[in-house]
Amino acid sequence: MQTPVTIPVPVLRLPRGPDGFSRGFAPDGRRAPVRPEVPEIQECPIAQESPEFQEQRARAALRERYLRSLLAMVGHQVSFTLHEGVRVAAHFGATDLDVANFYVSQLQTPIGVQAEALLRCSDIISYTFKP
Amino acid sequence: MAMRQTPLTCSGHTRPVVDLAFSGITPYGYFLISACKGAGQHLPRLSGQHYGKPMLRQGDTGDWIGTFLGHKGAVWGATLNKDATKAATAAADFTAKVWDAVSGDELMTLAHKHIVKTVDFTQDSNYLLTGGQDKLLRIYDLNKPEAEPKEISGHTSGIKKALWCSEDKQILSADDKTVRLWDHATMTEVKSLNFNMSVSSMEYIPEGEILVITYGRSIAFHSAVSLDPIKSFEAPATINSASLHPEKEFLVAGGEDFKLYKYDYNSGEELESYKGHFGPIHCVRFSPDGELYASGSEDGTLRLWQTVVGKTYGLWKCVLPEEDSGELAKPKIGFPETAEEEIEEIASENSDCIYPSAPDVKA
Repeated sequence: MQTPVTIPVPVLRLPRGPDGFSRGFAPDGRRAPVRPEVPEIQECPIAQESPEFQEQRARAALRERYLRSLLAMVGHQVSFTLHEGVRVAAHFGATDLDVANFYVSQLQTPIGVQAEALLRCSDIISYTFKP
Repeated sequence: MAMRQTPLTCSGHTRPVVDLAFSGITPYGYFLISACKGAGQHLPRLSGQHYGKPMLRQGDTGDWIGTFLGHKGAVWGATLNKDATKAATAAADFTAKVWDAVSGDELMTLAHKHIVKTVDFTQDSNYLLTGGQDKLLRIYDLNKPEAEPKEISGHTSGIKKALWCSEDKQILSADDKTVRLWDHATMTEVKSLNFNMSVSSMEYIPEGEILVITYGRSIAFHSAVSLDPIKSFEAPATINSASLHPEKEFLVAGGEDFKLYKYDYNSGEELESYKGHFGPIHCVRFSPDGELYASGSEDGTLRLWQTVVGKTYGLWKCVLPEEDSGELAKPKIGFPETAEEEIEEIASENSDCIYPSAPDVKA
C-alpha cells in the first residue's frame, strides 16, 4: 500500500449551518432590499432604529458599493495617481483580502512597461477607470 | 506536496438529500437549493415543522441562508430561477410551491393530483414546468397563477424529471424507462428514447445542447435537440446522478456505492474517486462557474467538492510552500467575512488555515 503523502486542502472554516431557531433569510442579509440604501427616505420610521444601527447599515452599504466597484474594475485599464505627482496606468487584476495591494498587469511606468506588478495601496493617492 | 480533496459538509438536513440545483451567476454570487425527504423528524423549535425542508445556501461557501417552510411531505424536487430570486419545490403533499428566494416567503401553491417530483423555471421565470406521479406535464403561467395549467399527457409511468430546453421552445421529460422530447408550442411529442433500465437522472446543458442521462451503471450523453447518442461511460456501480462541467472537460457522478467519480469527458478516463458520504448519493451538480460540485446523499448531508483540488476558492485556501508559487495570483474578490456571528474566530490576515476535523458528521 504505497499511498503518496498528501495533505488535505486547508479550509478557512466550515459552511455555516441553520441557526436552529429561525427560518433564516436575514432581513439585513446580502440580498435584502433591491433598492439601494437611501437613508433619508424614512416615510415609515422604524421606531427602534438607533442611530448606531443606521450608521452601521450605511457603512455596510458603502462597503458593498466599494467592493462591487473593485469587481467592476477587473480587466479594465485603470490610472493611478501616486505620490510626488507620479501617474501610472495598468490593467487591474485583483486586490488582496485587506485591499492592501493591487495586482496589476501591463503597468506603464515612466521607465517602461512592467508585465506584472503589485501596487501597494498605501502608495496610491487615487485611481480612476471607465467601466 | 500533493493536496488531498477536502469536501465541505453542509449540515442542516437531517433526512436524505434527494435533489439539489444551482442558480445562475448573479451579482450576489450563485446559490444552491437542496431538497430532502421529510416526515417524522421532530423539530421542537420550529413548531409544526415535521417535513421536508428545502434549504437555500450560498453556492460558493455552502453557508445556509434560509429554509423554505410550508410543505407537508417529503420534498422531491427543488430548483431556482436563473437570478435566484425565485425558488420552486415539488413535494409528496401533492403540491408544487413557488417561493420568493430573497425573503423565503411562499408565493404560490400549485395543487396537483399526486406526488410532484420535478419543477423547472423557464429562462425568463414566467413559466413553471412540473411533473410527477400523475404522469402529466403541467405548464403554469406564473403571472396568472389562478389560471389552469396547460397539460401534456403521454407518459405511461410517473415522471421523474422535466426540463425546459432549446431556449424554452422544447421540453425534455423522463419517466421510468423513457425520455421524451416535446414541442412547447404544439404540446406534442417530437421524439423519444427507450431504455431497458430505470432512468435515474437527467441534466440539460444549454451550451452545446447536451443531455446527460444516467441509468444502471451508465452515464450517457445525447443531443438535446435530436436525442441522438453522443457517447456513454460505464461506472463501477449503479449511478443515481451525473453532471457535466460547464466547459465540458469533466463529469462527476455518484450512486449506490457512496462514492463520487470524476471522469475526463473527452477520453472517458476515470480521474478520481472520492469516498466521504455515508450513504448512496442521490444528486450531484456542478456549480455554474465549474469551480465546485455539490453532492446530496441518503446520509442527510450536502457536500461541496473542489474541481481543481488545492485551488483557493470559496472556503478552500491554498497553502503556499516557502516561495510564492503563484497559485494565489487569482484571488477571489468576495464579501469580507464579518466576525459578529462567527463561531470560530476569523483572525487577521496572518491567521492559520483550519484543517477540517475528523469527519464527525453531525446531521
